[in-house]
Amino acid sequence: MREMINFTIDGRKVKAKPGETILNVARREGIYIPTMCYLEKTTPAASCRLCVVEAEGVDGMVLSCQTPPTEGLSVVTNNATLYEERTNIMRLYDVNHPLECGVCDKSGACDLQNKTMEFNVASQHFTAKEQSRKIEHWGLINYDPNLCIMCEKCTHVCNEVIGDDAIELKFGGYKSTIIPKNSEQLDCTYCGECIAVCPVGALVSSDFQYKANAWELERIPSTCAHCSAGCALEYEVKTTGAAVPGEERIFRVTNNFEYATLCGAGRFGYDFDLKGEKDADAFARAVSALKHAEAIRFSSIITNEEALILQRLKEKLGLKLYNEDARRYMAFVEAFGSTADGKAEPATLDALKASDAIVVVGSRIATDNPGIRYAVTTAARHEGAKVVYMHPLEDTLMQNVVTQFIKYEVGTEEGVLALLAQSLLADVETNKTTAAFLDELDDGYLSAESNVGEEELEQIKKQFKRAKAKTLVLGSDLFAHPRAQNIAKLAGLLARFGGYRVVIAAREVNTVGASLVCELDADNGSDANVVGYNAQGSFVIAADAKADLVVAAMNQQEGTVVSIDRHLLPMNVAVGYEGYVLNDLANTLGVGKRYTIDFTAELPTEKGFRAVPFDMLENFYSPTGEDHRGYLLAKVKKPAAQKCEVPEALPEFNGTVIYRCNPVLQFNALTARTSQLERSDALRGSEQFAVAARLRDGDLVKIGEGDAAHSRAFVIDPALKGTIALEPTFDRGFAADGNVYRFEKVNIMKVSNDE
Amino acid sequence: MSLEQFTDRNVGQQHYFKVEIDDYPQTGWEKFKQVTRRALSGELFVGLWVVMREMIKFDIHTVQYPKEKLPIGPRYRAVHEMQRLFESGTERCIGCGLCEKICISDCIRMDTRIDENSRKEVTEYTINLGRCIFCGYCAEVCPELAIVHGPRYENTSEQREHFILFEDMLTPIDMAIKGEQKEYPGFGAVTPHEDARVKKTPLAY
Repeated sequence: MREMINFTIDGRKVKAKPGETILNVARREGIYIPTMCYLEKTTPAASCRLCVVEAEGVDGMVLSCQTPPTEGLSVVTNNATLYEERTNIMRLYDVNHPLECGVCDKSGACDLQNKTMEFNVASQHFTAKEQSRKIEHWGLINYDPNLCIMCEKCTHVCNEVIGDDAIELKFGGYKSTIIPKNSEQLDCTYCGECIAVCPVGALVSSDFQYKANAWELERIPSTCAHCSAGCALEYEVKTTGAAVPGEERIFRVTNNFEYATLCGAGRFGYDFDLKGEKDADAFARAVSALKHAEAIRFSSIITNEEALILQRLKEKLGLKLYNEDARRYMAFVEAFGSTADGKAEPATLDALKASDAIVVVGSRIATDNPGIRYAVTTAARHEGAKVVYMHPLEDTLMQNVVTQFIKYEVGTEEGVLALLAQSLLADVETNKTTAAFLDELDDGYLSAESNVGEEELEQIKKQFKRAKAKTLVLGSDLFAHPRAQNIAKLAGLLARFGGYRVVIAAREVNTVGASLVCELDADNGSDANVVGYNAQGSFVIAADAKADLVVAAMNQQEGTVVSIDRHLLPMNVAVGYEGYVLNDLANTLGVGKRYTIDFTAELPTEKGFRAVPFDMLENFYSPTGEDHRGYLLAKVKKPAAQKCEVPEALPEFNGTVIYRCNPVLQFNALTARTSQLERSDALRGSEQFAVAARLRDGDLVKIGEGDAAHSRAFVIDPALKGTIALEPTFDRGFAADGNVYRFEKVNIMKVSNDE
Repeated sequence: MSLEQFTDRNVGQQHYFKVEIDDYPQTGWEKFKQVTRRALSGELFVGLWVVMREMIKFDIHTVQYPKEKLPIGPRYRAVHEMQRLFESGTERCIGCGLCEKICISDCIRMDTRIDENSRKEVTEYTINLGRCIFCGYCAEVCPELAIVHGPRYENTSEQREHFILFEDMLTPIDMAIKGEQKEYPGFGAVTPHEDARVKKTPLAY
C-alpha cells in the first residue's frame, strides 16, 4: 500500500489514496464541485469543464475529475473567477436549448435545469443559428439531438460498462450528435443504460416518454427479479387515470446509475405483475392438494421467506422438496469448496470488476447473466483485463472484450477444467496429492477430445503472466453436467493453488438463497402428487394467470433474495396484490406467520443469514457509492476435503445439437409476459447449421421426439457460427429444466408449412 | 384613531346602552297574554303593507336573480376554464403537470401520453371541485395561460362530475376561432407592461 497524499481543498486538510482524483476526494469529504459529464463508473469524459478548480502553482485551471493531487497541493474549488468560468459554460450549454421543460420527461430531475438555476442563467447571451434536427426512434429508445448537450456519458457507459459499443459521437462542433456506431439503425442489447445516464431529456424510453413527470412517481427501491446478479433498481409507480381513479401501475424502472448498472430486462421488463382476487375455492383445493401431496417442486424464482415457508411445510407435513436448479447448484458449490480449502467463498461482482485476468467457462454469459457481462466489460476496459472465453459457441456480444476465445467440444467441460488446472498450476507450488493428480492427467487424450490445444493453453498462461487479480467464472452449463462434481473440484484446485477467485453464476434470481434455506431432495421427475410452486406439478400454485392457484409475482411481494455475491437483498412491493400468497396457505396448515416477512429474521443463521427483521434492512447506495443493501452472508465452515477424480472417457455429441439459451433480455416466464421486451421464440442457428440440417430460414421445425416434442420456427442468425442451434426456454412457462445439461442431441424434423 | 384607542378594550368607558328586554313570561296567564298580543296585533299587516307599497311603486332595487346577474370582478376566481390558442384553436394545455404539482388541495389529476406527432398530449384531465378551494395557484403557475378561472359561480347540477372534465372546461372551438374567448386578467396573466420587460434572444440570422 502506497502512502496517502496530503493536500488541502479550500484550506481543509484532506488525504487522497493513490490514483484518486481531486473530485473523488472532494466528494468524499463533502466539498461541492459541480459537474455535468462526470460518471463515477466510467473514465472521465472531461467534456463539460464545469469541475475546474484552481491549484496553487499551476497556471490556469485544472480539471478536478481527471487530475490526481500531488503532495502539499492547495486546491481552491470556488472563487469569483471559477464562478464566472462555470457561469459562462452554463450560458453556452443553454444556447438554443429548446425551452420545452414543460413537456420534457427529464424536467424536475434534469442536471441542465439544476445547473442553469444554480448559475442563474436567465437569458441567452450568445447566438447560434438554430438547426433542424430530426428526432430518432431507436426501438425502446428515442433520441432527440436538439436536447443533447454532448456530455458523452452515454457513449462512455455503452463502451466501458456494457460492452455493446453501439453508439458514438459524430464530431462536428456545434453540429455534433450521437449516432449508432457502424450502422444506420441502433443495433444493441437495449440495456437502456444510456437513458439512465443522460443528464437531459435527449435519450428517453420510448414507452415512458411523456407519460409522467419525475415528481409524480413514487420510487420504490427493490431488487431485479430476473437473474442472479441481484441488481438494485427502483420501481417508479403512479396511479393511472384521472377521470376514473385507476390502479397503481409501474411506469418505469430507474437505477442508481452512478454506481449500479441494469440490463434491459430489469429496466424494461417490469410489468409482470398480476391482478389477483381471493379465490376461496382454488385456495381450498390448494390446501387439500398440499395436505395430500408427496412433494413440492419449486423454482428458484422465489424469495428466501417463501423458501423458508416451504421448508417449514416440509417439516410439518413430511413432504419432499424438489428444486433441481438449487440442489445442483448447492452440490456444485460444496464440491468446489471441498478442494478449494477455505477459498470456497464465491467472488463478488465487485471483485470481478477489479480483476485483470478472467476465464469464463460454461456459459453464454452475455445473455445468461448480464451483471457478470458488465463486470467483465468493466474489468477489460478499466483494468485492462485479459478475458479468456471458453465455450462451444462463440458469442458476438462478447467479442468487444474477449481477448482469447477457446472453443471446446460439447460435453467436454470436465476435460477443459482438467487441462486448465494442469496448465495454470504447472508453475505454482501445490501439495503432494495435487501434484500427483495433475501428473496423472492424460493431457493428450483430453486435448484431443475437448479440442483445446496446447498452444491455446500456453497463450492463456502467457497472457496471465503478470496478472494480480485472477477470476474464474463458472457458468450454468456445468451445474447439470453429469460430471458436475468433478468439474467443481477441479475449479476448487484453481482457487486454492492458482489464486483464482471464482464466480459461480447461479441461474435464477434466488438459486443461492433457495439452496441455503431449504433441504432439498432429488427430483424423480414425476408430476404425480406433486404440488408445483412456480413449477410443474399435478397442482400448480404460481404467479401465472393460468395456475390452479394464482399468487403474487416477485414485484408484488416483500422479501429477500441472495445474489451470486452471497448478498442478501431486499425486495419491496411495487404493485399491490389482492389475492392469496403462500403465507396464507402456511397459516391454514399451521406454520404461517402474520406476514411473510416475519420469516426474514428466522432464516437459518448456520447458513450465514443474520437474525435481522426485514424492516431493518436498508436498500440504497450512499452518495459516495457504499452499498447499503441488505447484508453479506457470513462465511460458513468449509466442507470436508475431497480429492479430484481423473476424468475418464469424455462424452461426444455428434449430429444435431441444440443449446438451451434465451435471446437477449429474456430469462423466464416473467420476462416472457412483459410488454416491451422482444419475444423471439424461434430456434436460432447459423448458416452452417441450416445447411447441415437441411433447413431454410423461416421453416417450421419439430424438435425432439415423443412427449418432449415441440415445434418452433427456425431462423438463420447471421451472428452465429458452428453447428449448434440455440433454443429459447423462456417461453416454456415454469417447466423445470434445471436438471438437464444445457446441450442436447436432438432430432429436428422439418414440418410442412402448409398445415 | 390612535393605536391606544383602537386597542382599548375597556368596555365601560364607551357609550354603550342596554337594550330593554321584557322579562320572560313566568305564569301561564302571562304566556297566554303574550301569545294573544303577538297574534292579534296588526304587526303582520305592517310588513305586508310595506311589500305591497313597494310593489306598486315599480321602483325596485333588487337584482332579479337568476334572470339578472350582478357583474363580477374580472379577477374573480370561480370554476376553471381551459383556454385555446387564438386563430388555430389548438388547446393551450401542454400537459406539463405544474398545476397538478402546485395544487394545495390536491384536486387536479392528469394523464398524458405521446401522440402520433411525437407531442405530449393530455388524455385525461380532471379537477375535483369538491376539494378545490379556488386559490388560483393553478392559473398562476400555468406557463401557457391555459388553465384560468372563469366567472361561472353557479355550481348546481345533478352530479359534481359535471364540472370536472377537461372537455367541459375547454373553450368551445367555434368560440375560440371567432375570437370570443376572453383572456383572464387574474394571477398569472400577462401584465400590461410585459412588452417592455421582455428581453429578446439574440438571433444569428
